[in-house]
Amino acid sequence: MLELRQLAKTYASGGGELLTVLDGISMSVQPGELVALYGPSGSGKSTLLNIIAAIMPPDSGAVLVDGRDTATFDDQEASHYRKRQLGYINQSLDLIPGISAIENATLKLIGVCSAREARRRVTPIMERLGLADRLKNHPDQLSAGERQRVLLARALATEPRLILADEPTGNLDIQRSQEVLALLASLCDERDVAMLLVTHDPAAAAFADTAHELSNGRLTAYGPQSNGAVAPRRS
Amino acid sequence: MVLLASLARFYVVRVRRRLVHELLAVLGIAVGVALVFAALVANTTLTSAMTTLTKGVVGETASLQMSARGPEGFPEQILTRVERTAGVVAAAPVLESRVNIVGPKGRRSVLMIGSDPRFARIAGPLLRPFTDINRNTVTAIGRQKIVGVPAPIARDLGISFGAPLRIETEARIVRVPIGVALAERDVGAIADSPVILAPLPYVQTISGLEDRVTRIFVQTEPGAEGQVADALRRLDDGDFNVRAANADIEVFEAAATPTKQSTTLFSMLSALVGFLFGLSAVLLTTPYRRGLIKQLQLSGFARRQIRQVLLFDALALGIAGSVLGLALGDLVSRHMFDDVPDYLAFTFSIGDQRAVTWTAVLVAGVAGIVAAYVAVFAPLREALPPTPRTGRSAAGRADRTTWATLAAAVAFGVASVIVVAAPQMAIAGLIALTVGLLLSLPLLLNLGSRLLTRLTRSMSTPALPLAAVELRSRVREIRTIAVAATGALAVFATVSITGARADLQRGLDASTRDNVGNADIWVTFPDAPNVLATTPFQDPRDAASQIEDLPGVRGVRLYRGSLLDVGDKRAWVVAPPREARHLVPPTQIREGDADEAARRVRAGGWAVLSETIADSLDASVGDLVTIPSPRPTRMRVAAVSTNLGWSPGSILLNADDYASAWNTDAASALHIETDPGTAPDAVKPQIQEALGTRRAFQVETRDERQAVHYAASRDGLTRLTQIAILVLVAAVLAMTTAMAGMIWQRRPLLARLKVQGFSNGTLWRALLFESLIVVAAGCGAGAVAGLYGQLLLSRALETITGFPVFYTAAVLVAAGTFCLVTAVALGMLAIPGRIAVRVEPTLGTVRRAQAVPAVRR
Repeated sequence: MLELRQLAKTYASGGGELLTVLDGISMSVQPGELVALYGPSGSGKSTLLNIIAAIMPPDSGAVLVDGRDTATFDDQEASHYRKRQLGYINQSLDLIPGISAIENATLKLIGVCSAREARRRVTPIMERLGLADRLKNHPDQLSAGERQRVLLARALATEPRLILADEPTGNLDIQRSQEVLALLASLCDERDVAMLLVTHDPAAAAFADTAHELSNGRLTAYGPQSNGAVAPRRS
Repeated sequence: MVLLASLARFYVVRVRRRLVHELLAVLGIAVGVALVFAALVANTTLTSAMTTLTKGVVGETASLQMSARGPEGFPEQILTRVERTAGVVAAAPVLESRVNIVGPKGRRSVLMIGSDPRFARIAGPLLRPFTDINRNTVTAIGRQKIVGVPAPIARDLGISFGAPLRIETEARIVRVPIGVALAERDVGAIADSPVILAPLPYVQTISGLEDRVTRIFVQTEPGAEGQVADALRRLDDGDFNVRAANADIEVFEAAATPTKQSTTLFSMLSALVGFLFGLSAVLLTTPYRRGLIKQLQLSGFARRQIRQVLLFDALALGIAGSVLGLALGDLVSRHMFDDVPDYLAFTFSIGDQRAVTWTAVLVAGVAGIVAAYVAVFAPLREALPPTPRTGRSAAGRADRTTWATLAAAVAFGVASVIVVAAPQMAIAGLIALTVGLLLSLPLLLNLGSRLLTRLTRSMSTPALPLAAVELRSRVREIRTIAVAATGALAVFATVSITGARADLQRGLDASTRDNVGNADIWVTFPDAPNVLATTPFQDPRDAASQIEDLPGVRGVRLYRGSLLDVGDKRAWVVAPPREARHLVPPTQIREGDADEAARRVRAGGWAVLSETIADSLDASVGDLVTIPSPRPTRMRVAAVSTNLGWSPGSILLNADDYASAWNTDAASALHIETDPGTAPDAVKPQIQEALGTRRAFQVETRDERQAVHYAASRDGLTRLTQIAILVLVAAVLAMTTAMAGMIWQRRPLLARLKVQGFSNGTLWRALLFESLIVVAAGCGAGAVAGLYGQLLLSRALETITGFPVFYTAAVLVAAGTFCLVTAVALGMLAIPGRIAVRVEPTLGTVRRAQAVPAVRR
């Protein structure tokens, strides 16, 4: 489903020095697989997700989605890829203010199907996420966890084949984090979705099939020996 | 207490980071201040120019005047009796005559004033040159045969001093030696007035009014004014009125009222648009100030101190905006509002002096600061501590919308009652309409967004549904409403004023057609302000005899007319020949039967009075009234008419009755009827040749004269058009600035939408659709309310001023203005929208903690 080949990305730092954040990253994520990616702040995790989402080009290397290099996408194709194949859950809790939770969740379905059909598709997802009684609430009437789940529902609305989740539990308490992680893992299994989960949460590894650590621009295996976290469930 | 210096330093540090936003806010406030200031200056300038001239002639000493009822004045001999009257300290005669002076560079209509050295004792600065003062430049012109011409006029006309001056007066041409140039140091600001001076006997000779004067100014002993006035009235045998020395100012005020009212009304609307412009611009900085408040709170600043910081912001914005606005307003008043409306120039000698009063500066400046205060504080009320940020519940919003809708309904109801029952309260009606319009906008926007949502539910293209979602999320934002309100107000003001103006124009044109259409060719004195044909010329039958035998000429008749003071109104007296086709203009009759009135006026002893004059004489159809002409004459009222386009009012009688009541043989025009089938254009050259060049006559065909009338009436309404254009330009700028600001600030959201898979093109179209709906909702509401405003204004013009008004709903104007403003605003938004959607999607993946306020269930 997703294959990364020798991805490299370098930024110019404030002092004019070059800062290598990705240095020959290669990995793959298969359908139904949940891959957790750890790393300290500034290690390039979000940059990696942006490159995979065709938001940002790599300096070198390639991102292959179903065998097709995302570098060949024009604006229209990149948009279509993000809208129909990709679910991107970022760490921001920004929803569109002034409209309801269900309208926020159906945002990606605009232009895909009718509003009625969009509601029909998204309502079960929101119910599954515990938002059944929050469908008509506006963002300023939702808690951080509820907003996070609305974003998750939006990501799932188009039934994507690949989900990129950038610290989806960063704003949640421990119990809610566990629930969300369990949900993501079950979605991978049930819908055969490939998922790359960027996180700081050591508990996330327990729900992942594979866990990597991004450090100094390179991927290494993530395990109990590195920071005492639990091992990936399928490692 | 945060020290002022600290506040200033803090402000400077902050403003550097958002200089463009602050400058836009300053510009917005400046536009509002400029419009208000320019309108105030235009109004005060009108009155001030007239007051300056009146005081220049009258001075501060004279308290009474005896003013002639007719242009031929009254006998000078009466001066002796005046001087002998108990309580009179001094009396001085003046003869005023409207003339043209001609120089190498052109012709100028001026008021020729003749006076006597004795008058200098009690007169104002204009008549100082009559005294034996020792100046190099002003050699006393007391009793010499020379004329004093203001230096600016001499310069404009290319007149060189020492060369003979050509003066055209009452259909004769005179060449006189020129004496002195009247510079400002000699006569003060009056040097800019359209007047020339000469000794009284010389003016009497030039104007052919030997031993006649048009006014005598009287200085009385203290406290004896009333007694002297009574005594002077007893001297009157119908030739003159006894009034306050500065009564001309009141007469002028009455005549200038329509212009001033309309300018004031428009300046109010302009101020509102300007305020909305300022508000929209200031709102660009609101998110920043919200963040600032939060930071200050977290840093331990008290509510009072935070308010001081914001107050300093408002003051800085307000002062900068006001100063810039005053400068812009000064430019506008100099270059756009500088012309005196022709209809006033016909009768009053109004100069070019601008009058900038401290009141105007203060009103406009304070308005700017208040607008800045409201614009800064209003959107931040909820953010200010200790009031917790409560969020806005759907129920709360619904309540506010319901109350606003109810209040709007009440306002529209008030406006409707005024239209039907009390059109004289037009200003209140317009205010009610404006309030109703603004209050109804939240509901209209809400309905618009719901309708769009419903319509786009099944659409497969994403741009419109996305616009609907975006609109629904912002429909209650103060900035969205401000943008719609700006468009609504601008279109409302333009449609209502332009529509009413068109109604008035149709009425005036009909009046012109009736009046001018009475003759195929007109011969008049070529005085520029003589469009009303009120300047008489002597020996009209001599001129007529030179024409009547020409081939193609079927008949020549005498038309008479002048201006007559009736109370404080300077009425236009219209006296066509009995044989005129439309002796009584059929389109202008308000009470009575036009045909019957025409028959009676033709028979003699009957007059048609305009409503205002009939009211001031307390007369209705069939009543006997005394016309205060030089020979007071009792006539019956044949009908009541509009004011025939002359705001103070009109009196219409036949030319023979006029000759009798004014005790004159002079005429003010020759009506020439051509043979059937003969084009007036073909006869005109022969008439010009027959009249020769010895006398200054102007020959115009009916069409030419109508064109002059149309131009004059349009000129009187020019200021409205100018302000309407300014308001529209300001509104388009305001809307595009505000919308562009909204779009620019929405880039993070656009980036997040791109992450969700929306393409640049989709987002751009969605932005344009959303802008279209906001602008169109405002402009559409403004257009509909504008049609209502037009009805209100037209009714008011008809009933208050007595102008002829032919009402036709200005649907095309409304549609055109709506389309123009909407299209221009959208066109201007296309570029910033296109740039904004090119935002890097990575901006949408940046963490924005606490982007949505705390939970509220």
